[in-house]
Amino acid sequence: MDKLVIAGREFNSRLFIGTGKFASRELMAEALEKSGTEIVTVALRRVDIENKNDDMLSAIDRSKYLLLPNTSGARDAEEAVRLAKLARAATGINWVKLEVTPDPYYLLPDPVETLKAAEILVKDGFVVLPYINADSVLAKKLEDVGTATVMPLASPIGSNQGLKMRTTLEIIIEQANVPVVVDAGLGLPSHAADAMEMGADAVLVNTAIATAVEPGQMATAFKLAVEAGRMAYESGPRAASKRASASSPLTGFLRDK
Amino acid sequence: MEVLKINGIEKQFPAGQLPSTVAELLEQLDIKPATVVAEIDGQIIERKKFAETKLRNGQSIELVRFVGGG
Repeated sequence: MDKLVIAGREFNSRLFIGTGKFASRELMAEALEKSGTEIVTVALRRVDIENKNDDMLSAIDRSKYLLLPNTSGARDAEEAVRLAKLARAATGINWVKLEVTPDPYYLLPDPVETLKAAEILVKDGFVVLPYINADSVLAKKLEDVGTATVMPLASPIGSNQGLKMRTTLEIIIEQANVPVVVDAGLGLPSHAADAMEMGADAVLVNTAIATAVEPGQMATAFKLAVEAGRMAYESGPRAASKRASASSPLTGFLRDK
Repeated sequence: MEVLKINGIEKQFPAGQLPSTVAELLEQLDIKPATVVAEIDGQIIERKKFAETKLRNGQSIELVRFVGGG
């Protein structure tokens, strides 16, 4: 399989893992290991002064995984830029998953504020991976301001609905010159495989793994699905047709006419 | 009384007992500095500067860290 290249950095795995919602740090660490992932997202929040020993970073082996902080919770560009800068100060790395989601019910990203924040962050030297609705025009505009990828959603975050945005995702994949990471809403390994067969460069999965009864096993399932989907894509799949096309010879039947 | 606003909550200190630096504040709160980033009145304070960054009465301090997220 081809390597995934983002901002000049090579990755063998095409599966990003989100670290939210795991029942324990141990389950998270096991899932990360089994998924084969190399890119792991985290969020930035206020320290809970009453419960200060909750330190999940210690469960993520930073020699194995690239930490990708997100700007979740940001409602506009200004808040997103602030979070990105805090995250950079915390990690010493300048990669950020840009999320601006003012709508609390569907968590759909704000395209105007996302583009605004992306421009500011790119100019400030960040490697920006923006989370967006499956909007091909926006994807192009983000690419033009210098984002390292685009991360269109398959369906609302955590909804497990799969590739509801198929048609527009296909357009984004067709037109993009940066890697397309399908993010959000992938509920089953088959959804991930489907996205990879379509030509997505990578997928991000969190809820489907973290909330499974056996997160480690589900992580393995997603790993295999992403690999299978990518292999199929690189193998040059043939288009569907309405009519049958015989697999067995149409000659030499055991009859006279 | 002196006061610091820490993560949105006002914390009062008897006069003269305000922690003198970010490092001292973290120690009082029993928070390991290695996992935290601080912001004072909107300015990011890098971890290596915790020991030298003085605190003053009335400042607003954010202490943040990474949590699980997608």
